[in-house]
Amino acid sequence: MSDPVVVDRVSKRFAGHTAVDALSLTVSSGIIYGLLGPNGAGKTTTLRMIMDIYEPDEGSVRLLGTIAGGRTHSARIGYLPEERGLYPKMRVLDVLVFLAEAKGVSRRTARVRALEWLDRLGLGDWRLRKVSDLSKGMQQKVQFISTVLHDPELVILDEPFSGLDPVNSQVLRDTIVDYRRRGKTVLFSTHIMEHAEQLCDRLCIIARGKKLIDGTLAEVKRTHGGQHVIVAFDGSQGAAQQVFSDRRLVAKIQDFGQQAELELAPAADAQEILRGLVNSGARLSRFELASPSLHKIFVDLVGPEAATAAAVPGTESERMAARA
Amino acid sequence: MHKVWAIIRREFVERVRTKWFWVSAILGPVLFGGIIVFQIVQSLGGAVRNVAVVDSSSVGFGERVVDALNASNSFRATLAPAGPHVIDSLKDRVETKQLNGFLIVTNDLVETGRAEYQASNLGMQTIEALQRTLGRLVVKVRLEQKGVNPEVVDWAQIRITLEQKKIAHGKTVSENATQSFLTAYFMAILLFMAILLYGVNVMSSVLEEKTTRIIEVLVSSVRPFQLMLGKIFGAGAVSFFQFFIWAVSARVLLSLRGPIARALGANPGDVQTMSLPHIPASTMAVFIAFFLGGFLLYSAMFAAVGAMSSNEQEARQAQQPVTILLMISYLSILGLTNDPGSVFARTLSLVPFTTPIATPVRWTAGSMPTWELALSLVILAVAIVGVTWIAARIYRVGILMTGKRPTMKELVRWVRTA
Repeated sequence: MSDPVVVDRVSKRFAGHTAVDALSLTVSSGIIYGLLGPNGAGKTTTLRMIMDIYEPDEGSVRLLGTIAGGRTHSARIGYLPEERGLYPKMRVLDVLVFLAEAKGVSRRTARVRALEWLDRLGLGDWRLRKVSDLSKGMQQKVQFISTVLHDPELVILDEPFSGLDPVNSQVLRDTIVDYRRRGKTVLFSTHIMEHAEQLCDRLCIIARGKKLIDGTLAEVKRTHGGQHVIVAFDGSQGAAQQVFSDRRLVAKIQDFGQQAELELAPAADAQEILRGLVNSGARLSRFELASPSLHKIFVDLVGPEAATAAAVPGTESERMAARA
Repeated sequence: MHKVWAIIRREFVERVRTKWFWVSAILGPVLFGGIIVFQIVQSLGGAVRNVAVVDSSSVGFGERVVDALNASNSFRATLAPAGPHVIDSLKDRVETKQLNGFLIVTNDLVETGRAEYQASNLGMQTIEALQRTLGRLVVKVRLEQKGVNPEVVDWAQIRITLEQKKIAHGKTVSENATQSFLTAYFMAILLFMAILLYGVNVMSSVLEEKTTRIIEVLVSSVRPFQLMLGKIFGAGAVSFFQFFIWAVSARVLLSLRGPIARALGANPGDVQTMSLPHIPASTMAVFIAFFLGGFLLYSAMFAAVGAMSSNEQEARQAQQPVTILLMISYLSILGLTNDPGSVFARTLSLVPFTTPIATPVRWTAGSMPTWELALSLVILAVAIVGVTWIAARIYRVGILMTGKRPTMKELVRWVRTA
């Protein structure tokens, strides 16, 4: 079976600003693929091009083996856009049935499946209520149901976790994992590294429309090597900062206050750091040798870029108008 | 096609479920029933008027006036002898509704044809009846003064009944001028209201999908053009449904006007005369065709307006040019109905933006050659295709755009590049 999503050197320019620059990525079948990047990196634009909402200026997108575009395959693809929305005045069940119909599912099937899903996510009693009566979290769940109601083989989720509380976040994570277990493919974008680290089989980090790195989680960690130590304090930090600033031992540090991630200097010994910390009078709750966290890799890669990428020239309408 | 159908159905069902739909569906028949009752009450109260005749003539002319008025069945006249305070006391009686009015008769009536009528309500029918009755009486008196036998005078005075028939499209239809004027006028108002109301509905529906951000999900599964078509046809179906409700209830109310009249104490026979004007099938067909065409033309424009705005206020501003186009026809209704054959009227019926209202009006008024009708239909059809093409392009770009409203230059660019 061919790869569900093949993006081949696509570029997208909005007046005076390149949102996506010769980006290529391949999502193979049956995996969870994460598209990571800071705000304004081009994640949403990329997903919109994949979904055929924008046309790329250059390059091509192959979906499910053809270049026909997302709309043609809408019955086989579930898409959750970054900007969520439902008809506030419609009943929950009606919205779900309508959105499924728009993807080509028959009315009767849509109804049966919608009721199943509502029950599964604990919204069964709300099926005849108006969408506007629901809390924001419930609306998010309804939106997610609408994405997967037609049982698509490829699910594309743009920032699926934004706005979800931990409980609903967990429900969504379980559902995504369950999806992969059933042989479906999931492509999602996020800027929250913890989610990516927990879920992704493969990932791709982009910034300013360019790909910085892609591969499996292990591959990414390997290429971004070095020995790492995670330190967590229990109250007093003592003179730990002195140890951290010893460049013979520590090459780079991500200091989170009560916790820090250290990248060891070449040939440094972790035991020496531990000794130093104990001697400094710090109370430790954790000292762990680790591969670098995705967060660390991400910040290393895009840190300097993320600060400048947010400034985008031109108004939205100008950018829209410039698209060919 | 299945998708377009789903969109049409959603649009229809959701709109029919709103309370506004039912408010206006009920308001129509209520209004119509009110008109019927009003007319019946009018015919009751308007039938006989209590009038006093103040005789200031030197020859006792007032008595003859009273007799003539009483003979006409429209008045119940009493003689009020002239005196110093008679006018004031009569005014009081008018004020207390004992009298509808009073007539002051002097020698002038026969000599120069002058008399005076004071009343709380100077209805046209009453005035005409008074003038007619007084006129006949004066003619009679003047002839008598010249020695003509009163019986000969009575014999000579004959009332003319002018049967009015209209020639429409080479055929004579029994319909008088007032009726056809009213029909045309009523149709024009109806067309204007329906096109405006349901066009604006399309606009707000597009805007709703934009502001709730549901649009992105939709365009990932449906082509924007399909979406726009579904919206327009959905809203159109709603307005047809509304019309249907109004038409059926009007029909029912009309057939019930006999019993209503009896309940109000009027003679049902009198009421039967106030029927709806006979509307031939051809006129109905023209009306429906141009309503459909006008609706398609304007709702495509309204859809584009909705797509290029990001909130209600912006949309209200942006819709003005479209509304003004429609207003031109609305403001021309009087001109159109008064002289449907004028160059002005002919021009309006050939301009695509005014033809949806102008042409049915001219056709109903009966002064439009068939080839002109065909021509304006063709012009309308071409305009619909062109306007929809442009609107669809603006729609396609606009629905995904947020932020400031596009300038004219940007709009042109959208249309060119979309």
